[in-house]
Amino acid sequence: MVEALIKAQTEEERVLEFLRSTFLLIALVGFAFYGMEHWVLDHWTESWQSKIPFFVSLVGFPLTLLMFFHRGKWVRYPFLLWMLVSVLTGIVGAYYHLLWNAQDAEVSLWSLKGFLEAFEGSRPVLAALAHTHVGAVAFVVGITIRD
Amino acid sequence: MIPALRNAQNQVQWALEFIRLVMLLLCLVGWVMYPLELLLLDHWAESWQSKIPFFVAVPGFALTLWVLFDRKTPWVRWAFILTMWASVLTGVLGAYFHLLWNFEGEVAWEFEAAMEAMAGSRPVLAALAFTHMGVTGLLAIYRAR
Repeated sequence: MVEALIKAQTEEERVLEFLRSTFLLIALVGFAFYGMEHWVLDHWTESWQSKIPFFVSLVGFPLTLLMFFHRGKWVRYPFLLWMLVSVLTGIVGAYYHLLWNAQDAEVSLWSLKGFLEAFEGSRPVLAALAHTHVGAVAFVVGITIRD
Repeated sequence: MIPALRNAQNQVQWALEFIRLVMLLLCLVGWVMYPLELLLLDHWAESWQSKIPFFVAVPGFALTLWVLFDRKTPWVRWAFILTMWASVLTGVLGAYFHLLWNFEGEVAWEFEAAMEAMAGSRPVLAALAFTHMGVTGLLAIYRAR
């Protein structure tokens, strides 16, 4: 990314590489901050599911960082794959937060009233989608790069 | 954004416009989902501060939608840029005040107390979602002629 930004020849190339670098930086900050927020909120509990966001961040952060310095296919393909993992983590996380909130409240998720009650539960539903957001942003950056 | 993507002449232009379009679409989803979540979480309270995110989200959604089809009209561009800056500021101020109001008793800017306030009932980093959306919107229109 950095090399491509420095070597950009035209105005369009410069803007493209600038946007790619900035969005990738946002994803990088996201991986660091979400990992930190999960830690502060004691998300690392005894259940293995609670550790998933940390593992996603732990791999996502160095892979994203690496993309700034080398974006050949040996880095880019694992990066793209991991960003899809991040997208999926967010979606699955949001679903299970909702499901477990519904179980705690003893309501059915498949009725509007139950859904809304589960939504207001102790586990934040849309917050889990932050991983989807970060993954999607980084994936879009990576997918537009050609060798 | 959409007309620019359709008129892209080469790979660089296409990649540039594709990134801009997808980022704006993500923003658009955010403008709907975040207020919805805030509404469900009863963020619309009696205090005027609690209503700010909703007031930012309404023009945010409308202008983002407009810019997807027309980014040439000067007043639309300016209104969009201004709204995105308002969103950036909303997020930063929201995070700061969430943190401040999470302090129980005296406000002490020490590491341990700040971490405790971070884990309080008002989510601190979540407020920054508005900053994220504002920055994304600003980047999407950056040098888009």
